[in-house]
Amino acid sequence: MSKYQFIFVCVFAWLISLPTLAQDDVSPERKQAIDSLALEKVKDLGKYISIIGNKDTPFSEANRVIERAMELFADGAQMGVSSLNREEVKYYGVRKYFERLMALNYDRVTIRWFNIQYISDLEKQPDGRYVGVITIYQRFQGESDDGLKYMDTTKKDITIYVERKQTQIGGRVIGFWDVLLGDIRVTETTS
Amino acid sequence: MDAGKVLLFLLTLLTLPFFANGQQGVGTYLGDESAFYASTKQVNQFFRRFNSEEDEEGNRIYADSKKYHSPRLRKKYIEILFDNETSSLDKALKEIFIEEVTDAVNPIYLDFHGGEWFAEVHTRFVYKGKDSPAILFMQLQEEPVGSKWVIDRVYFEPFNKLFKEKTNKEGKFLHPLSHELDFMNLNKIFERRDEIELYTGKHYKPDHLSLMLLEVKRGNLSFVTIKNVKFHFFQIDNWYFELSEFNRKGYNTGWLISNLAKLDQKQKESYKKYIFFEND
Repeated sequence: MSKYQFIFVCVFAWLISLPTLAQDDVSPERKQAIDSLALEKVKDLGKYISIIGNKDTPFSEANRVIERAMELFADGAQMGVSSLNREEVKYYGVRKYFERLMALNYDRVTIRWFNIQYISDLEKQPDGRYVGVITIYQRFQGESDDGLKYMDTTKKDITIYVERKQTQIGGRVIGFWDVLLGDIRVTETTS
Repeated sequence: MDAGKVLLFLLTLLTLPFFANGQQGVGTYLGDESAFYASTKQVNQFFRRFNSEEDEEGNRIYADSKKYHSPRLRKKYIEILFDNETSSLDKALKEIFIEEVTDAVNPIYLDFHGGEWFAEVHTRFVYKGKDSPAILFMQLQEEPVGSKWVIDRVYFEPFNKLFKEKTNKEGKFLHPLSHELDFMNLNKIFERRDEIELYTGKHYKPDHLSLMLLEVKRGNLSFVTIKNVKFHFFQIDNWYFELSEFNRKGYNTGWLISNLAKLDQKQKESYKKYIFFEND
């Protein structure tokens, strides 16, 4: 191969790789779309938590919903929980957290979400994936028939992993951004 | 592309931000959220507010917006980034700081990847069956792709107790002609296990991080949990500030500046030593 042919091949290879490189960057518009996708997943999680925590949900249905909820998470995701009385963080695997929620001894459980969330910037990790954190606030209320009531408001900082993936549709390779939830830090707030 | 398709494409583009904003409400509970809006909810938000890179509702402001890095907005935002309830911050010093960082000609912004800031993480370990607190100093490290937090240093009291302060104790040295005897006297110093560090060079300092990793690998030390986190910022020339999280009622909550000092480079180095428990 001559010097000129070599340069031509290099320039051509660089040119065809350009769209791929550009697609890996997160532009403001793309970030907004990713944020929406991530919020959808957080919203789904909220729905699942409400169903799992509801005493009227049959056991088999609650277990099915736990499986659906687990699909939102990356492997090994944990909940790190602290309260106003206990500063230290207690760790639960996500599945364990759902099972505890299902086993709560309240006759009525209400989980509601405040109409606010904060979404961080996306930062690139050494493995090429992006990571972000969505902060939401949730109010939990548990009531027993004998009148006992427990209520708390928690701040949930939810890790999101964002990855560029590819799929084949009708023989064409289509790139898309996938979002998975990761560790969740749960802090009790005074509000 | 025909005209219909072009119109559909434009409509999709135009409605995208609308739908994105429509996602703002995750839940069904419509309580008073003003305190949550006011709170600096993430360290990321502290950076954005400090630099005026987001609006009042927490939406990102990008470089093409007039509000981006606006000195007027920054003054307003930075004012609320101080702990005004518990920390005894000097009001005059605070004002000088705000004036300096929002200067119209030479503004100073915080840079997440700019270095010169680190985290101090208070943790709890079990060491040889006993509950023991440890302080981990974490540093954001840039990588060929992306970045990651790494453990930069550790302070662990049991290690501190183990290593005595080096003083010139009488007779506790290897005499200067030890080499003529092929250092045969080394056997004596290794019998004195408690004082072995007295025979090391003047620059020797026990490295708690290596010791911690060794004890973890040997199974003598296991992590239990984190207790709290704060950050030390040395990124701004001639200034130091500490960032702590305040979980309390009201509007002055979240990640706020809990300590502010005007320090030159030399003073900064001394203060870092103080933070790392390295003061002699």
